[in-house]
Amino acid sequence: MSITEKILCTKTHEYILKNDDGTYTVGLTDYAVEQLGDIVFLELPESGTTFAKGDSFAAIESVKAASEIYMPISGEITDVNTALVESPETLNEDVYEKGWLVKINPTGDASEQDDLLEYSDYKEEVE
Amino acid sequence: MTKETFLHDKHIALGAKMVDFAGWHMPVQYTTIVEEHNTVREAVGLFDVSHMGEVFVSGKESLAFLQSIVPQDISKLEYEKAVYCQLPNKKGGLIDDLIIYKIGINSYLIICNASRIDEDVNWMSLNSNGYDVKIDNQSHNYSLLAVQGPKADELLRTMGLSTHQDSFTIKPAKILDYNILVSRTGYTGEDGYELLVENNIAPALWDKVLEYGKPFGIKPIGLGARDTLRLEAALHLYGNDLDEDTTPVEAGLSWSLAKDKKEDYNGKEVIMAQLANGGNKKLVGIKMLDKNIARHGYEVYFNGEKVGIVTSGCISPVLGCNIALAYVKNISDISTGSVVQVMIREKLHDAEVVKKPFINKRNKIRN
Repeated sequence: MSITEKILCTKTHEYILKNDDGTYTVGLTDYAVEQLGDIVFLELPESGTTFAKGDSFAAIESVKAASEIYMPISGEITDVNTALVESPETLNEDVYEKGWLVKINPTGDASEQDDLLEYSDYKEEVE
Repeated sequence: MTKETFLHDKHIALGAKMVDFAGWHMPVQYTTIVEEHNTVREAVGLFDVSHMGEVFVSGKESLAFLQSIVPQDISKLEYEKAVYCQLPNKKGGLIDDLIIYKIGINSYLIICNASRIDEDVNWMSLNSNGYDVKIDNQSHNYSLLAVQGPKADELLRTMGLSTHQDSFTIKPAKILDYNILVSRTGYTGEDGYELLVENNIAPALWDKVLEYGKPFGIKPIGLGARDTLRLEAALHLYGNDLDEDTTPVEAGLSWSLAKDKKEDYNGKEVIMAQLANGGNKKLVGIKMLDKNIARHGYEVYFNGEKVGIVTSGCISPVLGCNIALAYVKNISDISTGSVVQVMIREKLHDAEVVKKPFINKRNKIRN
């Protein structure tokens, strides 16, 4: 199973990937990064911070524009990809393996995922 | 309805990412903005700027008419030369900035911003009452290709451009088999040319420039790199850094103004008073001291007080830091070397006021 078959996406271009330990990895879709172009700046929250679904939790800038990144589901940050903050251009190569943003412990209801889209549906929606 | 230039199919075929800009469907990038930016700084790039406006002004009183609408002294403009001008309203605020070319006796070409063609033509028509002058908007009939970069001259030589042309001159020339109005101007801070042609010639000329440019490392360049290139050179973008509430003095364009022009022109009183006493605000260049980028509309603070607003900002691929233009209160405390703060995502980030342009013409780092 490829990674895009395992993720769920928001219409605002974030994805979540469920890990074996019950945490979720949160990132940006390849489509989003392609639209942004050269990524030059990334700001991520600190571990321990909690966010509700829909909250802006991170900021990203490409040469072209600045964008906010929103929580696909509610959760507490358990891990932050600090290497990515150092070299945000990695996102242009890989958004799933090296380019993940944060890991979270979900704090909301499972129904929060009802409006998330499978990757293929997401692609259809945005393209 | 978005408009397309005669090179639209070329952009699509080259795989450009397209965006709407000033009512036009234009390429923002073909590869990446940074790669395209560096190509223009190091070699040569080709731009489609056909969206820009071409307005011809002719007639017995065209000089007197132009003298009445721009703060520059057009009587000093020689045949086949160009001058950077502004089009002020009655209060000295800018309706547009332009390049005026003298292309004949009583005959001038004005190249203006795509987003302002209608406003410019309306304003000129309104102001032409009583003058024996013809204002002919030919924007829809012309395409404009910009060839920019240190290798632009050499490239055009291999294509058959035979006569030498100084910067800010315009001459009709035959390149390959095409009749072209060749202008040694641009909007990148690099040496380069702008080639004005009739629409039907544009697609073939585009292909030829790319073909002949191959040995020089030419690449097509989108509007994304056009923006970062012009900002490194601290060239103003209308709508960002210039508007109807900003005078040329405030915009740091005093160098371009005629100081002793006798004729009256729109906004003269305000502009001359500001030239003597300074404007209400001033445009400064700033360099971010961290990795954040100051974008259009962000607030600027000095000693805890809000003093202004960022009008353009981006990364500088040449300098490796983030740069911006901002309007701040016209106080002497804010000058080169001062540290100001930019509000980015509800936090203040330090930036240093630096000299403009951010880089000088020969690519050497100034700051």
